[in-house]
Amino acid sequence: MTETAGDEFQPFWDAAAAGELRFPFCRSCQKFHWYPMIRCPHCNTADISWRAIDPTGSLYSWTVVQRPFDAAFNDRTPYVVGLLEFPDAPGVRLITNLVDIETDAIEFGMAAAPAFDLYDTAESRLMFRPNVKPARSLE
Amino acid sequence: MTPDIAIVGIGETAPVRRSPKDLRSLVMEAVYDALDDAGIAPGEVDGVVTDSVVMPTTVPHDYVMAQLGATSRFDGSISYGGAGIACSPLQAALAINAGLANVVISYFGVDWGTRPSGPYGFHDLYPAKQTFEKPYGFNAQPIYFGLWTRRYMKEYGLTPEQLGSVAVQQRQHALLRGGGQISKPLTIEDYLTAPRIAEPLGVPDCCLITDGAGAFVMTSNERARDCRKPPVHVAGTGFASIPVSGDSVFTQDPNVLTTPGAHPATEQALAMAGIERRDIDFVELYDCFTISVLMQLEDMGFCEKGEAGAFFEEGRAAIGSDLPINTHGGFLSYSYRLGIEHVVEAVRQLRGEAGTNQVANTRFGAVGGFSLPDYGVLVLSADG
Ligand SMILES: [Zn+2]
Repeated sequence: MTETAGDEFQPFWDAAAAGELRFPFCRSCQKFHWYPMIRCPHCNTADISWRAIDPTGSLYSWTVVQRPFDAAFNDRTPYVVGLLEFPDAPGVRLITNLVDIETDAIEFGMAAAPAFDLYDTAESRLMFRPNVKPARSLE
Repeated sequence: MTPDIAIVGIGETAPVRRSPKDLRSLVMEAVYDALDDAGIAPGEVDGVVTDSVVMPTTVPHDYVMAQLGATSRFDGSISYGGAGIACSPLQAALAINAGLANVVISYFGVDWGTRPSGPYGFHDLYPAKQTFEKPYGFNAQPIYFGLWTRRYMKEYGLTPEQLGSVAVQQRQHALLRGGGQISKPLTIEDYLTAPRIAEPLGVPDCCLITDGAGAFVMTSNERARDCRKPPVHVAGTGFASIPVSGDSVFTQDPNVLTTPGAHPATEQALAMAGIERRDIDFVELYDCFTISVLMQLEDMGFCEKGEAGAFFEEGRAAIGSDLPINTHGGFLSYSYRLGIEHVVEAVRQLRGEAGTNQVANTRFGAVGGFSLPDYGVLVLSADG
């Protein structure tokens, strides 16, 4: 965890540790928002809950990073940063790393599911695995 | 508001990646250069406007005024980085035309060639960025714009050759201008085979990194008559933004492939100037990346959405063609000083003193300043 992370971010990581994907959802206007905010930016009420969604996202875009901009990534390049959308959570896009896929096989709209098996609370990173293998049922 | 002011002096340091001088020295060199260009004594300055984030925390207004021995009567700041620079004449006009100040300076400088955190230091402003982006290595502008470029290519059919033509065109302009940080020509083949940084963006898609500064001096059109050089009039200014925080703007904006604020800011500036887009003779816009040039050109309304790539590929952005863009080579090939050099270049063009890269018969020029989620536009006109 980063030292500057606010408490308002913690529910995301708690959910990830529990094998769930949750985003802030306004009970008043029934809309999601992301990133976490103090009040709902759509209606300005504070009636916000963290709603669990079907965690399979759709790939909006991606980039293969060849040159690190932070020494912490020196031994990770090349790595893939993906931006996912979720049918269950309109308006939310999530930055993640795509794992277990050849870069040439990445496609727009590709389904990707959280790699909860790789989630490490110490690192606070929830990576996603594109669904390139024969379809397996979602639990 | 109808601005009744002019830019009467410009100054800039030589474009270099690393300077032995510190940032304050670089800024002062540019400010003195601009005052000398205007023929205005330092003590006559009585107002300052800069961006509100970068300059106040690195080269404070009070430091500059103390160095000039000048007493401030107006102290303004607006937006940050490039949008702030393009909009600083907006505040200067309000102050000068209200009689609050007579001579207002604007300046900007960076030492990102030398400073360790470089352009990425702004991440510290946003906890959500630190928490939900940085751990995934989504931590630098080429990566953000790489992500946008990939999606833009899908949405609008942009080809690598079209994107590369922006870098090639601007390199040609930089070589024509001379004196920039890069002196090597760039062909489309060079572009296509250059090392990638964040795919699909490669080295020639990204701005340079610079230690340097620029400055300009503004006063009333009346006072401008007595200055050393012909005045360049502030015809119109525009500022616009969207309600998306700087940490979310690369990913959460519903219209993520549209430059926030660019269209309304352009409309505001043109309406103030009483002109239309076809009256603009050249555009200097914030070219942090090749893709951002295309997006801004479209979103300012100079091209239809998705057509700016073809515009460049057909050579229509060249000096001597339809609408010359970044006539000095810009951040991609001249130097990267967040927009102040675009203002300086526009003034050179409108004075007719650009020499080897002069656009013929310039009457109006536009400057676009981009600082997500803000956008600033400055429309300048030649004297006479
Ligand atoms: Zn709401």
